[in-house]
Amino acid sequence: MKRHVIGISAGVALALALSGCGKGGSSGGGGSDGKTITFVAAKYDDDTQPYWDNLIKAFEAANPGYRVKLEVVDWEQMDSKVKTYVQTGQQPDVLNYNKFSDFARDDLIYQAKDVVSPKVLADFLPLFADQAQYKGTQYGLPFISSARLFFYNKDIFGKAKISKPPTSWAEVEEDARKIKKAGDIPLGLPLGAEEAQAEFYIWAMNNGGGWTDKSGKWAVDQPANVETLDYLRGLTKAGLTQPNPEATNRKDVFNQFAQGKIGMINGAVFMRKGFIDTVDKNLNYGVAPLPSKDGTTHNTLGVQDYLVSFKKDDGKNREAVNKFLDFFYQKENASKFLSTEGFLSVTKSAGDALSSDSSYYKPFVDALSGARFAPTDNPNWSAVEGAVKQRIGTAVSGTEPKKVLTEIQDTAEKDG
Amino acid sequence: MAVQDVTTRTAGAGSGVEGTPAAPASGSRPSRNGRRLRALEPLLWLGPALVLILAVVIWPVVEMVRTSLMDISSTGLTRGFAGGDNYADLFAEPDLPGVVLRTLVWVVGVVTVTITVSLALAQLLNSRFPGRRMVRWALIVPWAASVLMTALTWRWMLNNFYGVVNRVLMDVGILDKPVNWLAHPAQAFAWMMAVAVFVSLPFTAFVILSGLGTIPAEVYEAARLDGAGTARTYLSITLPLLRPSLMVAAIINVINVFNSFPVIWAMTRGGPGFATDTTTTYMYKLAFDNQAVGESAAMAVVNFALILLVVLVYLRVVRGREETG
Repeated sequence: MKRHVIGISAGVALALALSGCGKGGSSGGGGSDGKTITFVAAKYDDDTQPYWDNLIKAFEAANPGYRVKLEVVDWEQMDSKVKTYVQTGQQPDVLNYNKFSDFARDDLIYQAKDVVSPKVLADFLPLFADQAQYKGTQYGLPFISSARLFFYNKDIFGKAKISKPPTSWAEVEEDARKIKKAGDIPLGLPLGAEEAQAEFYIWAMNNGGGWTDKSGKWAVDQPANVETLDYLRGLTKAGLTQPNPEATNRKDVFNQFAQGKIGMINGAVFMRKGFIDTVDKNLNYGVAPLPSKDGTTHNTLGVQDYLVSFKKDDGKNREAVNKFLDFFYQKENASKFLSTEGFLSVTKSAGDALSSDSSYYKPFVDALSGARFAPTDNPNWSAVEGAVKQRIGTAVSGTEPKKVLTEIQDTAEKDG
Repeated sequence: MAVQDVTTRTAGAGSGVEGTPAAPASGSRPSRNGRRLRALEPLLWLGPALVLILAVVIWPVVEMVRTSLMDISSTGLTRGFAGGDNYADLFAEPDLPGVVLRTLVWVVGVVTVTITVSLALAQLLNSRFPGRRMVRWALIVPWAASVLMTALTWRWMLNNFYGVVNRVLMDVGILDKPVNWLAHPAQAFAWMMAVAVFVSLPFTAFVILSGLGTIPAEVYEAARLDGAGTARTYLSITLPLLRPSLMVAAIINVINVFNSFPVIWAMTRGGPGFATDTTTTYMYKLAFDNQAVGESAAMAVVNFALILLVVLVYLRVVRGREETG
């Protein structure tokens, strides 16, 4: 009987201990010797896990005594995992993610200069390093980048008797009508939750719109954005897109383009590796600048992911993290990841190592130099992004564009 | 708290134990110590369950309420006490009324249809016919399959381009071009309710079937002798005697359907916009799309209160009727 009571008390004590350590913040297990670190990597595709397994094996061989515990997490679960880790004080030492600024705001991560050598720091291309700053200090470590260009199916264009890709919005609409007449789906417009913010921004930036005004204040409801949605709504209502853009995810239209069912889309650099090659290597397609309203200046959406390193145990993990990150950013290792996954480089050295690679990547690299990025340096961006993903699609189906944008603007102005 | 009680009782003087009734009187008068142990005996049996309830029910609820009162940043970091701010934010959400209303339609609709269909199904399974065993087994299948899998299968069946539903309807000549079922809120919601009914049927049908099994044959015989017809027999005998099973089926279904996440998440993700969200999926979106963990916890507390309220009211009504009836 007594034993039982002890058992009960022990159970409760355990429960209390569990809840207690949730708030501790610095009690993350395993890393107390400072030589074992945990690394949470995002899963880009099936090649991601083998790449990191190999890299870590090589790292541990080159640095005896150091260990890296790897966890590869699917992008779909990344947000909830990361939030849970932070809330329960179990954040990894190194995280591969698409945001960094709210970690910096909450003082959870190291500055970039504390976790990589000056050589690596200088190797980042300024374009990306600038986007990794919070209040003027670099926190994020640029990891990979991607750029968007306009993809069109040459066979479908031939069938509809269109000789060259459209450059202005008027031409897009005109070509779309021809393609529709020829019996194919003219334009893929993915405004479903997956990546609606990117698709909208591509159109908006080529109409002089965007997320913020010149001073950096949120300006989601600016007239140029309303005009952009009006245009997309018009295309949708005229049946010039795939049915129901508000419920179509990016991967759906990318797949349909790869299957030769869609005439034109705003594609991404990883289209070839991730979609076209796996479906139909012989797809007859072309790549052109993203069409703009006036047809003269063409902006590109740049996207970058980051590595960030969490502060733990009063900086005991810093040395191991530093070693590991420097190891990853070596020219061969970083460039191998890029070619494995089909992304663009964020460092000079890896970019040089890749520049021998094919004419496919060249237009993307060229376009990147003038690319616009989502305001990931603003900690409120993650909330805005969430609101955009959920709401923006409804503007081409039911709700008035102006109303949708106002709701998003309200979210943006709320304090994160 | 109960556990603390236990420790003080074993350690303390035990004056409080005096009052507790001992186990059924035994022949010889037990010693003071033995009596004390005897009084603690129920705890031996209740203990594990109590610990389990404390750890997996009470603690999460406490934690949930606590979180709903905290100011939590988008990274997940707790920044301090927020008072009622999260609740104020939640009730100010323009989408909330629609979501709550839809949840109501969802729960009432799915549970009503499920129970109605299950009554018929159970009746069918209760009558004797060749192959009855096969049919009973077949009914279990949707139960055994994971809900997420069923929902995903339905999503693909309803797909605009590849879906078998459109194919069949077009081949039969009902449709002349494919319909994007899940893109239109009303249609999508109706389809999801149908799927929710589909996955709830087996359990409900079997609960009712077991209820049917408990109705004695003599009652039916008496009714027949008194000249009651089929409808009269069903309404006056079968249904009233099924009340306990129906009550169990209804309560469990209300809770399950209210909390149902996978069907909606897999089929529409609550979209487009929030047009097919219930409070359960909305709660998830608040945390992981809007990055508002505290507000999401407030939604969770409201959800919890709602379901508690519904169950209590239901029990009240049913019990009241039992007393008058």
